[in-house]
Amino acid sequence: MTTKALAALITAIGVLAGGLPAAAQGPIRIGASLSLTGTYAKLGNYQNEGYKLCAKQANEHGGLLGRKIEFVVYDDQSAPSTAVRLYEKLITEDKVDAVIGPYSSPVTEASANVTEKYKKVMVTPLAATTSIFKRPPDKKRYYLFMVISPAEAYLEGLVDMAAKRGLKTIAIVNEDTLFAKAAGDGAAELANKRGMQVVFREGYPKGNQDFSAILTKIRAANPEVLAASTYFDDAIAITRQMKELNVNPKMYGITVGGDLPEFYDLLKQNAEYITGATQWETTLPYPGNREFSDAYKKEFGREPVYHSAAGYAGCVIYLEAVKRAGTLDSDKVRDVLLKLEMKTAFGDFKVDQDGFQTAHKMVTTQWQDGKKVIVWPDELANGKLRFPTPPWNQR
Amino acid sequence: MNVVVTPAMLGQVVISGILSGALYAMVALGLALIFGVMRIINVAHGPLLMLGAYATYFLSTALGINPYLTVPVSMAMLFVVGVLLERTLVFRVVDAPELSSLLLTFGVSIALVNLAQLLFTSDLRSVEYLTGAWEVGPFALSKSRVVAFVFAGALTGLAFLFLGRTKLGKAIRATSQSREVAMVCGIDVQRIHLVTFGLAAALAAAGGALIAVIVAIQPEMGQIWTFKSFLVIVLGGAGNYPGALLGGILLGLIEQVASLFLTTQLSEVVAYVLLVAILLVRPTGLLGGRQT
Repeated sequence: MTTKALAALITAIGVLAGGLPAAAQGPIRIGASLSLTGTYAKLGNYQNEGYKLCAKQANEHGGLLGRKIEFVVYDDQSAPSTAVRLYEKLITEDKVDAVIGPYSSPVTEASANVTEKYKKVMVTPLAATTSIFKRPPDKKRYYLFMVISPAEAYLEGLVDMAAKRGLKTIAIVNEDTLFAKAAGDGAAELANKRGMQVVFREGYPKGNQDFSAILTKIRAANPEVLAASTYFDDAIAITRQMKELNVNPKMYGITVGGDLPEFYDLLKQNAEYITGATQWETTLPYPGNREFSDAYKKEFGREPVYHSAAGYAGCVIYLEAVKRAGTLDSDKVRDVLLKLEMKTAFGDFKVDQDGFQTAHKMVTTQWQDGKKVIVWPDELANGKLRFPTPPWNQR
Repeated sequence: MNVVVTPAMLGQVVISGILSGALYAMVALGLALIFGVMRIINVAHGPLLMLGAYATYFLSTALGINPYLTVPVSMAMLFVVGVLLERTLVFRVVDAPELSSLLLTFGVSIALVNLAQLLFTSDLRSVEYLTGAWEVGPFALSKSRVVAFVFAGALTGLAFLFLGRTKLGKAIRATSQSREVAMVCGIDVQRIHLVTFGLAAALAAAGGALIAVIVAIQPEMGQIWTFKSFLVIVLGGAGNYPGALLGGILLGLIEQVASLFLTTQLSEVVAYVLLVAILLVRPTGLLGGRQT
């Protein structure tokens, strides 16, 4: 009898303690490894600032589950192997309450093995490679959530706009590396779906500067659309050499690089009519986007880039999921995230059963009189596509 | 999905190949000169080309000079840089084992690239001057590449005239054939080394200046030119100056034609496989080595 009562009492205390007002428990610590130095330093720091701003604002609004939020961030020097070690340390030594994603696909790919092992939910704001999330059933990852659009979506706007205008032929070139190739594959698949014919497809090595032969072949194939899955240097070289060889598609779009101001600085009026793709722009009419940009500028004294916004949104999404779950428990937060549909300053969030992003929209921009205008998708556009692109000698 | 190659396309890439080949030849001639006269493989040749490109960029954008008029200025500036390099560093390794000169010029190369990154940043820069093409029948002739071809042809011609007709040029060739005999004949070999290094740097600078009008430039643009120049002089015959001309055009053609029939990725493989093949069949290069 007494032992039973004692047991009941202990249980009651336990239940009570679990439900105690949280402020007494100290802050919720969220751990992350970020590329603060090394190759990705520039972008990793933007992401870090996104996290910082998210935590600051959340704390100003009463924190999470009644507790303050505190980020524990280590520098992985842009090395996946270091990030693996750091997540291990965060979870086992620092015993953080939660983790959040690092910068870039390769680092996320490596770190995900650790967070899965310890069954920790990880929202990964800056991993765009499909294969991190779409895996064979026996290697499925349960606790990983994607925020940005996948590489395959980068050229969707170009293909969609071309198909709507009745264009039938497309040529696709890409740098022969993981991300750029995936974007090229995505474009080819979308084009086929829309009844367009891929008349030319070729990869080129990283660092290539001479596109004469590729462009000669494209000139012969005479496509109505040219889609180039590029980074930056190659986008500049291809554009200049298109003019040298008088390659005149009705539409010409690139992926990364086309949205940077430097693109126009280098090419001047030759950048006109060219479309680029981006995950996010300050001018997009997403709820809270303007407020985010203003607060960011005030806090860090510089304009946010999409890496800042994605980091910010990833943190906001995770906090929202915890709030709705009412607990930090991985499985419960996972259930909420799988069903969550949310709009942030970064745009829409919704994932499928693999944690793969399905709602976030890429936007397509076009250079018009030296200004970058959003031309796709229609509901986010702030200008109309200039079409068709005139021949080089008439621009 | 792939394109059937027509004669017009072949013609187009042959034109592209010859146009870029002339640039390869001119730049490689500088490397060949240094190797011939001083027996040094100058790994810093490409970075010197990069400096020439930046000289043209700054002269034409900051001072508004026509980029083609900056070519002689870039050349003169890099001639001085070359002379200073020779006088302070390179002369120390002229008679040293080849590894020493490789290490030294490799160090110079890294230093120049990093210096450029510090001074100019890694941002891409471009000289937008002569863009677009002249349409000739079915062919498109890139304006900037045609002009570069003319310049490269003229400068290479001048370099050969200088080597063949002037007293100094003959002294350079004599030194290249045998330093000891040249010395015995009263040629100031130290001075010849100085002039050769300066001249080679100037040829690299001319290449850089012309390239700056064709592609966007950045501090790491030079290294690939070191490799290409090396390939050219081995193809043509190390130390054989007309060989550089042949090697340059040949490399340009191989790259373009291979990219046309295969892919751009494979074209580099083709060039290097051919290099190995030539070294196996004719170890001294197509025109043979050192027959100046």
